[in-house]
Parts: sequence; C-alpha cells; structure tokens
Amino acid sequence: MSHSTPPANEPNSASTLLEEPGVLVAKKHHFLVRWSHWLNVPILLGLILSGISIYWASPIYRHKPDPITGNFDVASDIGIWICTHVPGLHHYSSPPDWLYNHMSLGPGMLALALRLHWLCAYSFMLNGTVYVAGLFMGGGWRSLLPRRTDLFDAFRILRYYLGLPFAKLIRRKWLHPRFNTKYNALQRVSYFSVPVAGLLSVATGWSIHKPMQLYWLSAFFGGYDAARVWHFWLMWLYILFVVPHVILVFADPWDTLRSMIVGWSTRVKRSEFTANEQ
Amino acid sequence: MNNEEKVDSVDHEPRTNETAPSVASVEKLQGHFGEQPPPVIEMAPRVLRYRTRRDFLLFGAGAMVALAGGAFLLPEDTLRRMGVRRDMNFPGKEWFLNRALRFDDDVAEALYSENRIVPTYTKSQITPLKNNYNGATPDPAYLSGWNLTLDGLASGLSISLDLRTLKTRFSIHEQITRLVCVEGWSAIAWWSGLRFDDLLSAYPPMSQAKWARVESSVNLDDSGNPDPYFMSIDLATARHPQTLLATHFNGQSLTVDHGAPLRLLVPVKLGLKNVKAITKITYSAEEPRDYWAERGYSRYDGI
Repeated sequence: MSHSTPPANEPNSASTLLEEPGVLVAKKHHFLVRWSHWLNVPILLGLILSGISIYWASPIYRHKPDPITGNFDVASDIGIWICTHVPGLHHYSSPPDWLYNHMSLGPGMLALALRLHWLCAYSFMLNGTVYVAGLFMGGGWRSLLPRRTDLFDAFRILRYYLGLPFAKLIRRKWLHPRFNTKYNALQRVSYFSVPVAGLLSVATGWSIHKPMQLYWLSAFFGGYDAARVWHFWLMWLYILFVVPHVILVFADPWDTLRSMIVGWSTRVKRSEFTANEQ
Repeated sequence: MNNEEKVDSVDHEPRTNETAPSVASVEKLQGHFGEQPPPVIEMAPRVLRYRTRRDFLLFGAGAMVALAGGAFLLPEDTLRRMGVRRDMNFPGKEWFLNRALRFDDDVAEALYSENRIVPTYTKSQITPLKNNYNGATPDPAYLSGWNLTLDGLASGLSISLDLRTLKTRFSIHEQITRLVCVEGWSAIAWWSGLRFDDLLSAYPPMSQAKWARVESSVNLDDSGNPDPYFMSIDLATARHPQTLLATHFNGQSLTVDHGAPLRLLVPVKLGLKNVKAITKITYSAEEPRDYWAERGYSRYDGI
C-alpha cells in the first residue's frame, strides 16, 4: 500500500512512525455488511415513500365516507387534523393530502409508485442476501444470535437510556449496564429482529404481490388482506428502529460510526469498553 | 482502568491458559455458535487515519451518487414538491423504470403455472364488489344489439356470436374466487360462465397466435365520452381452467355495473385485466396494446 512508502518530501513521516505508538484495532464489520448496511438507507427510504403512495390508492384504515367531503381515509383525517392544529399550516392547499405529501412520493401516482416499489424491492432482496453473506463471511452472525438472558438485559439497557436524561438533569450517577460482548442485549435484540423483519417484509410483500401463485404464503399470513396489514406494520417497525438507532450512534463515541464505514474499531477490549462507559 | 474490574469481567475465562493474548481474551468460546473475539492487529495511527479518510471520502461519494440516483428516479411531482425546479426528465428514466417493470413481469410469468388452481371460497365468504368502472358506467342501450366478435382465427374468418349461442353452445362453469385490484383491495365473488379455453377450442385462433386482445367498445371515460378499453392477455393464461367469460355474478345475470352481458374473469391476473362488457376478441402473434400498460402499469399483471 502507498502508505508504507511515504513520499520523501513529507518531512516528519518517518519520525511520526517512531513517535506515535501503534494503535490496536479490531475488524468490526465485514465490508459486505458495511456496504449493504448503507445501501439500505436509500432502498428503505424508496420502499417506504413508494409504499405509502401505494397505500393511498386503497387505504387499509378507513371509515364511513364523510357526508360532506366524502373522505373515508384515516390518513387523510390525520392530514386534516395536522393542518387545523399546527400553526402555520392553516392555509395548506389540500389538508387531506398533507400526510401523503410529506410521507410518500405523493397522492395519485400509483403507477409510478409501483414501478419504484418493485425496483427497490428487488434491490432490497439482493441487498439482504449480500448482508447475510457478509455476516457469514466475516463471522458477524455469531454476535447477533439471541441469548437466553437477552430479554431481561435489554430491558435493563432500555431503562438506562430512558432514565439517562433525567439522571443528567438531577446530576445523579447513572451507570450503564455492563456487558462484555460485541453488542449489548438491546442492540443484539434489535440487530437480530430487524433482519428478521426484513425477511417478513419480503414474504408479506410476495404474498400481496402474487396471492394466487403463492397462495400458500398468503395463507400463512392469514390471507391476502391480512398480509397487507402485516406489510404495513412491518414498515413502522423500521421507522421505530431507525429513530433511536440514529440518535444513539451520534450519542456514542465516534468509533461506532467509523466502524460501520471503515470497518475497524479501536475499542478492542470489551471489558475496557464497559469500564469507560461507567 | 481498574485491574480488578478487568479480571471481573473475564472471570469465565479459563485462567490456566497463560499464553492467551490478553486483548483477545474477552469471550469464552462457546462452540460454533459462541461469539468469537475479533482478531486484533496493531496499526500505525497514520494508517488508520489514512483508511478513515479514504473510506469517508468513498462514503461521501456514495451518498452523492445515491442522492443523484434519487433525483433521477423520483417522479416529477415529488421533486417539484421538494423544491427542485429543474426539469429532471432524463431520457433514460422511463426506460430504466420500465425495465424494472418488465423484470417483475418476467418473474410473474415464470411463477405462473397452468396447472395451479387458485383458491376457491364458500358462499358465506363472499364480500361486496363495487362497480369499479374506471370512467362513467355505460348506458344499457348497448345490450340490445350486443355481439361478441372473434378475429384472428385459424379459419381466417371474423365470427360474431350472440349471447344465446354462447350460453347454449358451451357448458357453464362456476367458481367463487378472489378478484384482486392493482390498488390493493380485493373481493370474493361467485362467478359463472363459459371457459375461455372452450371458446378457444371451438373457434381456434391462427396457429402463430400467442396473444388475445380483449376489448370493450362501450367503455366510457370520466365525462361519458367513448373510451374503448383494451387488454392484452397471453393465451397460456386464457387457457387456464379458471379463466372464464362470465355471464353471471353472485347467481344473477351480470348487471351493467359488472360488465353485462359478458366479462372476462381471470383470477390469476389483476382486476384491470378482467374486461367488462367484452365486444371483441382478437388473436395475434404479437403482443397487443394494453390500456393500462400505456398508462405506466405493467403488461403481464400475473398475480
């Protein structure tokens, strides 16, 4: 590599090598895991945006049509509620479309949304395969396997996160639960269930997309209509996961974010890691 | 760091193994499924900094590509709402998105099996089916002079059949199946009619024919103007035993709402292929035009 033979015009390169002690690093994520992790961002965004546009064409949650507006869609009701109650939105041109205008590609574009949804869905399946391949090639799958104690430990960590802001506020000592594995129990539960949810999303997606040829798959989820409900709520699971996921990665030392981009982590001693956190 | 603490956290470690590198001695190996400590290497900080910089630049470049890709693929309306004023209608956009659609159609075609019978239901499972005419519902006046025209036949003739002939000449089959709309809703209904396959046997299409164009000349648009509706259907699907030319809906003769006097009922395809008030069927070797494919939907529509 080029860095082993530094250019001669770099004055301190040789001496820096001598002065700076080497750092210990551990490979944290296989490059296929890193690539597929980041590719999920645009793919899932595309799937959610186009998915809600598809939802618009035939909403699952509906009521008797409003006698005046004829509206039956709960998502439109939410848009109307937002436009009447949020300051600055009182003059929004089409309140029933507010939610679709902000959470999807937009209303009234089913054909376009379907094409994008298929494109993203096939990419998602391919990407998921790459991710699983990366887990096995890098051995990362072992760190994701659930353990017997995970459920209890995950609650302890959840309690820690939820209590942390209050503890900071009243300046009370608030200790991070100790662990000596790659992930803590809450991480392990999340990182294990999200790929499982991905698999379920793909399966429910196919059972909606091909309810006749794959009728057994639809039947597994309770029929065509039930599979749509599953597919819809699985989407919310990703949204529910992504919000704290992003907050915590920025709250954590920068090594965490770097390890998902570069692959290396300088936190090689897990016992040290827990000690530092305390 | 407190030394006792460290010992504490690794107390599952077998102490006898003096040669184990301390940095890797975090986890006890629990057979094949146990978490294994990652190999630790020593790296010059400069190398780590170089790699970090390189990979972050790559990452940034990837993010830009994703952003550009999004701008390339998103619908015009969506981009406009996001404040993009430039015309983003690149020449390759339609082609690329249609490729995705074609790919999905090919998958659907590969999944199709002529021997696979779709699930049938009991009468108690029947659900309401709305009049889903895309435009205005046609005036019933067309019923009096109605005929089904067949074209592209092996005989080279164009044949006209009236409803009486269709009902008496062919055996009537019935089935309770689900109709699935591209929009996402579905309805279970009880249909009866003749099999498309029987019509194909009685009036064989020309030998090279692979497709049928099923057409309704009485279809109207929103404002009530004539808007002929035409659909392509592959003959493999037309020959499926559950593909009917339906004359009855829920035990009654078809009403105008549901496509009197004859509609296509093809449960292995999306609802939009189930042409109402069929007036003409034309067999062809080439894939015929398709009303909804011309409006951005897929062509094969197998479900």
